[in-house]
Amino acid sequence: MKTLALLLALVALLAVLPFVGSDYALSFTIQILMFTSLAYSWNIIGGYAGYTHFGQVAFFGLGAYVGALLVGAGWHWLAAAAAASLAAIALALVLGSAMLRLKGSFFAIGMYGLARVGENFALGFDGITQGGTGLYLTPTDLTPIYAVLAAIALALIAFTHRLDNARFGLQLLAIREDETAAEALGVRTTRLKITAFMISAAAPGAVGALYASYLAFIDPATAFAPMTELTTIAMVLLGGLGTVLGPLVGAVVLSVVNELLWSRFPELYLGLVGIIILGAVLFMPRGIVNAFAKRRWRWVSAPRAGLRRLADAARPVPAASPARTPAE
Amino acid sequence: MNVPVLELLVGGILLGGLYALMAGGLNLIFGVMRVINFAHGEFLAIGALVTVSLVAGAQMPYWAALLIVPAGAALAGLVLQKVVIRRLVDAPLIMSLLATYAVSTVLVNVAILIWGGGYRGLPGILAGSVRVAGVDVSQSRLVAFAVAVGTSLGVWIFLRATRTGRAIRSVAQAPELAIISGISVERVRNITFALGSAMAGLAGVLMAPTFASDAQLGSRFLIKAFAVIIVGGMGSYPGAIAAAMLLGILEVFGGYAFGQVIGSAMLYLVMLAVLLIRPRGLFGAQVRV
Repeated sequence: MKTLALLLALVALLAVLPFVGSDYALSFTIQILMFTSLAYSWNIIGGYAGYTHFGQVAFFGLGAYVGALLVGAGWHWLAAAAAASLAAIALALVLGSAMLRLKGSFFAIGMYGLARVGENFALGFDGITQGGTGLYLTPTDLTPIYAVLAAIALALIAFTHRLDNARFGLQLLAIREDETAAEALGVRTTRLKITAFMISAAAPGAVGALYASYLAFIDPATAFAPMTELTTIAMVLLGGLGTVLGPLVGAVVLSVVNELLWSRFPELYLGLVGIIILGAVLFMPRGIVNAFAKRRWRWVSAPRAGLRRLADAARPVPAASPARTPAE
Repeated sequence: MNVPVLELLVGGILLGGLYALMAGGLNLIFGVMRVINFAHGEFLAIGALVTVSLVAGAQMPYWAALLIVPAGAALAGLVLQKVVIRRLVDAPLIMSLLATYAVSTVLVNVAILIWGGGYRGLPGILAGSVRVAGVDVSQSRLVAFAVAVGTSLGVWIFLRATRTGRAIRSVAQAPELAIISGISVERVRNITFALGSAMAGLAGVLMAPTFASDAQLGSRFLIKAFAVIIVGGMGSYPGAIAAAMLLGILEVFGGYAFGQVIGSAMLYLVMLAVLLIRPRGLFGAQVRV
């Protein structure tokens, strides 16, 4: 109920903003919404299913290029974003069946590699993508883009709220805690993982296309920026991995901090963001939402919190780096 | 079409030597710590840039950089291990990955602040060429190859023959048994991280005379090092050396046939193929660190 009330308040806030806010506020909110969508998408596969996903920016970049090329070919930007989303889902389906057999470090390196391959292809096939010069689009009105992004972000928050209370979400948590045990209990792990992967790729594809329309420009360095990846994951971690409200809290907090840093220290900005993220990993690994939940701030309703605590308690504290099989 | 097979083969092997040195360090760190160091590439990039500053700026002889830079990299690696990695070794994988990714971003941007965004070269160092197997090879590349392969083999012998080397291997293979046997895991981790970082720094020094260096160099080389250790088998040191040669040759031939960009993208595709078909790597079966 609390989450629902919060969602309604968010909807109201987002609905009035274009009429009262400045152009700057609109532009800044677009960025927050973009990162909120990316963070929620990442949270599904990275937070709930527990896969160390370091290649979300590959779907974002693919979406940006599919969107930009279709808009360049005369499509409406909304149709282009829908097509970009479908392209990302298709890539996730093809890749997922192969990549999700990998775990831990191997999955991380494989997905990181995919993002770099994407950047290389965008540079290399310059007949289509204009290579490093980038693609220029005709600027469009930002308000409708804002509305679509708000809808995507709200849909993902609502989806995650449902997920946290649904069988599907529990099954993903089971995969995170112990995939072999989940499989033994009859959870169809492969199918579930691929489904979760496709869901988590849908929004980044669309958001990538919308970002290209928003900037009216895209080049390989922007589309596949490692900074996008780092910021997204840091937002989820800062807010709280595998929680309903964590990505939202993380996205808003880090976006505001980033914006402040960017306006004060444009030269040092990226380095400072890196230092902040490092600090978050070292000193706040459980995230803001979990820090509140631990102190019994009741506004974070988490029906599954008890289950999670059990899982945390049952997880053996690893002695100094236990031996692992190469397949891990 | 007349393909200059011999020239390409020699070029590939020379490139492979550098990959072996860099990937060897990365693999060593992974084998012992089970941590993927995303900042490894930045040690190489900053090593190359510092070399340019020392030799072209401060007018120091090149051999001095060969000593100073790896020592500095070892120290920096030790600091990184003591301040950051040590706290995250036993945390979930995502923590250490995100932390080293953040360190990498910080280092890239510090490098941009110091050296700017452009390319820096080191012309005139080890200029001239030598004829090897009927192919003209520039002196700088030959020296780089000799030092890189020499160091890689030296580290391998160190791992096999010395007491410290055996301690490193035992921590990589069976940490619990190593603790029971009285090996200080903490000390082994410190040594490993310093050694691996020094190898990346040395690779940077060796690259500086041949390749133009910039602050973003690290990520371009890191993904190649990933490809090398995946193909060679994660945690397998000799596997990494063999795979480095293989991928160096592949990249040069691929670059000749399909152009530079697709040539280096080929490495990732080979890596993805190996990940999917044989995740333990081509040489990861019996061979151990």
